[in-house]
Amino acid sequence: MVVFTSLEFLFRFFPAFLAVYYITPKKYRNTTLLFGSIVFYGMGEPYYVLLLLAAVWLNYFFAKKIYSCRDTRRGRKCRKDRLAAVLALDVGLLAAFKLLGIFLDSSILPLGLSFYLFKMISFQVDIFRKEMTELPTFKRTAVYFTMFPQIVSGPIMRFHEGSFLMEEREYSLEKLEEGLQYFVAGLGTKVLLADRLAILWKDIHVIGYESISTPLAWLGAAAYSMELYFDFWGYSLMASGICVMLGFPFIQNFDHPYASKSIGEFWRRWHITLGGFFRDYVYIPLGGNRNGLAKTMRNLFAVWLLTGLWHGGSLNFVLWGLALFLLIAAEKLVLGKLFAKFPWIGRCYTLFFIPVTWVIFAVNDLGQLGLYLGRLFPFAGIGVALNPNDILKYLGMYWYYLLLGVIWCIPVFPRFLQKHRKNPVAVILTAVVFWLSVFCIVSMENNPFAYLKF
Amino acid sequence: MNWIKKCPAFFLLAVSGFIFTLIGVIGRFSVYKEYEFDMVKRPFLALMMEGAANGTAPWEVTSALGLEEDKFPGGLFALFKNDTIGQSIDFEDGEDALEALAEDGIVEGIVEGEGTAEETATVEETGTAEGKVTAEGKRAVEEEATIEGTRTTEGDVDETIGGEAPGGEIRSGETADSKTVDNQTSAAQNGIVGNETENNAAAGDGNRRAADREKTEEEGTYGFQTVTEDYFNDAAFIGDSRTVGLFEYGGIEERADFYAKISLTIYNVFTELLAKDEETGKKITAEEALTKKQYGKVYLMLGINELGTGTTETFMEEYRAVVERIRQLQPEAVIFVEGIMKVTGNKDSEDPIFNNKNIEEKNAAIAELADNRNIFYIDVNEAVCDGEGNLNAEYTIDEVHLKAKYYEIWKQFLMEHGIER
Repeated sequence: MVVFTSLEFLFRFFPAFLAVYYITPKKYRNTTLLFGSIVFYGMGEPYYVLLLLAAVWLNYFFAKKIYSCRDTRRGRKCRKDRLAAVLALDVGLLAAFKLLGIFLDSSILPLGLSFYLFKMISFQVDIFRKEMTELPTFKRTAVYFTMFPQIVSGPIMRFHEGSFLMEEREYSLEKLEEGLQYFVAGLGTKVLLADRLAILWKDIHVIGYESISTPLAWLGAAAYSMELYFDFWGYSLMASGICVMLGFPFIQNFDHPYASKSIGEFWRRWHITLGGFFRDYVYIPLGGNRNGLAKTMRNLFAVWLLTGLWHGGSLNFVLWGLALFLLIAAEKLVLGKLFAKFPWIGRCYTLFFIPVTWVIFAVNDLGQLGLYLGRLFPFAGIGVALNPNDILKYLGMYWYYLLLGVIWCIPVFPRFLQKHRKNPVAVILTAVVFWLSVFCIVSMENNPFAYLKF
Repeated sequence: MNWIKKCPAFFLLAVSGFIFTLIGVIGRFSVYKEYEFDMVKRPFLALMMEGAANGTAPWEVTSALGLEEDKFPGGLFALFKNDTIGQSIDFEDGEDALEALAEDGIVEGIVEGEGTAEETATVEETGTAEGKVTAEGKRAVEEEATIEGTRTTEGDVDETIGGEAPGGEIRSGETADSKTVDNQTSAAQNGIVGNETENNAAAGDGNRRAADREKTEEEGTYGFQTVTEDYFNDAAFIGDSRTVGLFEYGGIEERADFYAKISLTIYNVFTELLAKDEETGKKITAEEALTKKQYGKVYLMLGINELGTGTTETFMEEYRAVVERIRQLQPEAVIFVEGIMKVTGNKDSEDPIFNNKNIEEKNAAIAELADNRNIFYIDVNEAVCDGEGNLNAEYTIDEVHLKAKYYEIWKQFLMEHGIER
């Protein structure tokens, strides 16, 4: 139910919630959203919902403490101590669960833990930095921390982006329509593209990495790169679409990253709210790029190491963060100037290296990762039982998803649709994509073996 | 109506959602009545989607509108409350269809369908029967022209209509939806047109009788020998995705011909277009391919996709018919019926359908077909399983298929189990 693409969410929770939300007088809609969010989270995590509530209460308690000594004598020292205490609590909680997840079982991690904790951290720091002129009420803070569209996987919205004061929120049929169209775009991106491309990626596992031809290895890397993008972008679109339907502003989490001219730019356009979080709360506090080259590199390294560890605990994520650090450092030092002159070189470079980094991201076992990289770059790797025609088979099976995927990665097409979304054709397309997605969801749910036809 | 202009997509979704829900609700009384459905968790329109996925077009629900209440004992709302309907209902359309079948010379039909709820209906019209009923069929045949529904497991829809006519026996396998009688009728008719009387000896008793006769005529059986790769030069392989894997990674694709496809079953092995006609370049069925070319040996591995479908008896009836048909088309060939490759211990313990108990049951039945003179049973599980009789977990990623490099083991196993006559 906590998955937006489940029938329970699409046809039970969300319509019911939306109706109740709009029936509620404007003044009380935050209360409705708060209760709805707690019900939503409680359905997914009947025990950890208590952890969430405790974290919400403790964080508000500390926020009040930090806020209360903003104008006292020795105010900065006082705020700093109190911020340190609450950060120790939030970061400690995150670290503890991440470690338990690594050493015991990843299923121990509470749903959306890092997303709501990141919101809490940003909230505390914003109060500390006096970026908030007044302390929000408990209810508004709790709504911000728990709101159901964002609690499972973000976007990590900042408090000030959310227009939490009732007077600021905008309700209209046009907004409802706009949010719905974002939601359906996200649903289709996830269900009709990401979930299909995922099957190609699975097929490659089944063959065994040592036996895939080099063209198939690259096709797999490309398919996985698109799958990951469509999965997360689709999810973010759905989340932001829901927010818009509830009267919040649209939070952009992806900005057509595969059209980037460098890897640095790619990461400014991919998972924007996470990048922004690391920039504002790690990179800049460490000094950013203002203290000489050595320190800049150190800060960059810290950010990418953390980014790697945040995505997962196994060694390949560290390697992945490291690879991105090296690529981005190289851009900052040398390649950046070249790319500025010849953007097409930058584009090709990005489209070549990003899929390689995603392969490092995807394959947890280092031995297996070595095999896959050996197939991508077959100078050293040895292939076993290769079938050079395998690429034709998989192109034949998946070409339409791959083609659609490539088109959907090129910014002009989604932007064109966004611009003309009120056109009757776009309206009909919205309905078609929605029902097609529902059809796919039903047939998958009903036949869990659809992935596994032997 | 100005508000519609402000949110046309929202309006369109609401209207279409309402219509689909209506279709789902109406269909709940007719074409979707066998589906498992939890109103709390799923919208009614999911029934329409599910039906469409199973091949029932949404407009077919209107067939329910013509029905009067007296055809539903207890009224429509009794159906609505009770999920396990279908036990005692015989509706007129069904009888009409049966009469039509009988007129076309079909006297026995074994209809098997599956959805979330599934009906295994066995129908016999005794009037024109000639008393020659298949051995397996007899057990399933009912004496009256009624439709009896029993509930079994989930899966795809398969339908097999087998029949005997005064002029000879007719068999056909068609994948269709068993929930609408119209479909059944047309499926049966297609089968009749397509297969005519070629499949004379398809029925179980014919099969056995033929085998018995041969046993008395010829003494002596053959044992397995180790052979070289040249052995596969005149071999044909028929199978599902596992055999596709053997084709792609076994290293004998240049020598042997493969008639294999992902999710192939014993029911559609002769109807799927698996081969290419070398002269015309058109796609043809395995049956046509076997008509055009004679092989020295034919390997057959099918059965895992059917695990959720029907019983071992219904499966074997079809399997026997397929083997007999191959025998007919390839009178000189050695036929290897291969045991279904197992799954890993992990999958075995988790999966209610695709587990080794079900596979072993089918394999034991397949093994009985062997006469060790023309038909030989070989079981690659001897080579790819661990000590506990499960597929070796090292050999696979998805617990079902061998990794590419381990198809070599299968090939070696086949080379150790050659038959030279």
